Amino acid sequence: MSAARARRIRFALVMLLLVGMQFYVRPRLWSTRVAPDFLMLGLMIFAIRSRPGAAAVAGFIIGFASDALTPARFGAAMLAETLVGYTAAWGRAVFFADNLLVNAGFIAAGVWLRDLLVLVASGTGGKELAAQMFLWSPLLALSTAITGVVVLAIFRDWLDIRLEE
Amino acid sequence: MLEPDRTFARRDTALFVLCVALSVGALFAPEPWQFAAASAARNTALVPLIALQRRAEASRTSRARFEALTAQRDSAAIAAQALPSILSENAELRQLLGLSRRIPERSVPAEVLHQPLPTDSRTLLLSAGRSAGVAVFQPVVASEGLIGVVRTAGPSTSTVMTWAHPDFRASAVTLDGSVTGMVGVTADASIREPMLELRGVPYRDSVPVGTPVITSGLGGVYPRGIPIGTIVGVARQAEGWERIYLVRPVAAPAQVSHVLVLQSGTPWPAAAQEDSTQ
Repeated sequence: MSAARARRIRFALVMLLLVGMQFYVRPRLWSTRVAPDFLMLGLMIFAIRSRPGAAAVAGFIIGFASDALTPARFGAAMLAETLVGYTAAWGRAVFFADNLLVNAGFIAAGVWLRDLLVLVASGTGGKELAAQMFLWSPLLALSTAITGVVVLAIFRDWLDIRLEE
Repeated sequence: MLEPDRTFARRDTALFVLCVALSVGALFAPEPWQFAAASAARNTALVPLIALQRRAEASRTSRARFEALTAQRDSAAIAAQALPSILSENAELRQLLGLSRRIPERSVPAEVLHQPLPTDSRTLLLSAGRSAGVAVFQPVVASEGLIGVVRTAGPSTSTVMTWAHPDFRASAVTLDGSVTGMVGVTADASIREPMLELRGVPYRDSVPVGTPVITSGLGGVYPRGIPIGTIVGVARQAEGWERIYLVRPVAAPAQVSHVLVLQSGTPWPAAAQEDSTQ
C-alpha cells in the first residue's frame, strides 16, 4: 500500500470516528446545546488540510445532513457550512498556523461563524440572536475547540497536520 | 496551458460557487421540495446515524435524570390516587347529561434527537414515525406541557414544529376560561429565555400576572387543557382595543428529552379533570 493511500485511510478513519461520536457519544454528554459539535470539528480539520473547493463541498454535504436533521430553515446550514469550510481552508492556506492553540481558535471561530450564519439565514434577530451569539454559541465553540485540541494532539500524525512542538 | 495552481484555484472557486448556488436554491425552494429533500436524506443515507443516536438517547442515564424521573413518577402516583373517584364522578355526570363515553387516551412516546444547530429548539427530530402511529398535525407534549405539533412524519422519524418556531400558533385560554387568544413566539423575550405572547385579548379584559394559560381546543389540532405557560405581564397594547400578554412557557424544547405524541381525539388529563369538576 502506498504511503499516500495509507494516509488517506487513516484520515478517513478519524473522520468516521468523529461522525460516530457525533451520533453516539454527543447525546450522552451534558447539555446538548453546549456539547462539542463533532461534525463541525471534522469539517474544520478537513478544511485545515484540504483545498478550499474540497472544503466547500464537505461543508455543503455536512450542512445538508444538518438541515435534514434540523429542518427549521432548510438550506441555512448548507450555506453556512459551505462558507465556513471554504473560508477556513482559504484562511489556513494564507495564515499557515501550525500552533495547536491557533488551530483551537480557528475551530472555535468556525463554529461561532457557522451559528451566526445559520441564525441570520433563518431570520433570527433581536434578543434571541444576541443570546445565542453571546451565550450559547461561545460555549459550543469553546467545547468544540477543546475537543479539537485533544483530537489534534492524539491524531496529529494520522491527520497529517503540522503542529509546533 | 494553465499552470496547475491556477487550475486548482479555478476549480476551487467553481466548486464553491456551485455549492453556494445549491444552498441558496435550497433556502428559497418551495416548502414541499424542502420537506421532500430532508425526508429523503433522513430515510436513506442518515438512517444508520439516526439509529445510532436513538440508541444513545435510549441508553443515556444519569443520576440527575433518574432523580427527575423518580420525582415525576411520585407526583404522578399522588395525582393518580384521586383518579378513580374523579372518573367515577365523571361517568355519573356524563350519564346524567346524556353524553357519550370519552374517546380512550392514546399517545406515542418518543425520544428527542437533539442536534447542535442553534435552530434545534425550533424544529425537533423525534425517534418515532408513521410506523408507530405518528401523523402530521398531531400535538406533541412533554410532562410539563405543550411542545408543538408534528410537521412531517417519516417511516421511523418525525419532525416537530415547536412553540419557539416563528410560524407556530395555538388557540389558548386562561385556566378559568375567561380570556381567549392566540399564542405565538415573541421577539420581545428576555435575553435568557424565549417567551410566548398571548395575542388578541380584548382591551377590556385584564389578566393577572401568574394566570396559567392552556390550549383552548379550538381549531381541532390541540385538545383543550394542555398547559402552555403563565402570564408574566403585558407585552404591549394596541391602540386601546387589544392587549398582548407575555407568557412564560412551561416546557422548554431545547431541554426536553422525551415527549408524547397525542393521537387524534386524545383528551389532556387537565381537561379531563376540569370536565369532571364542572
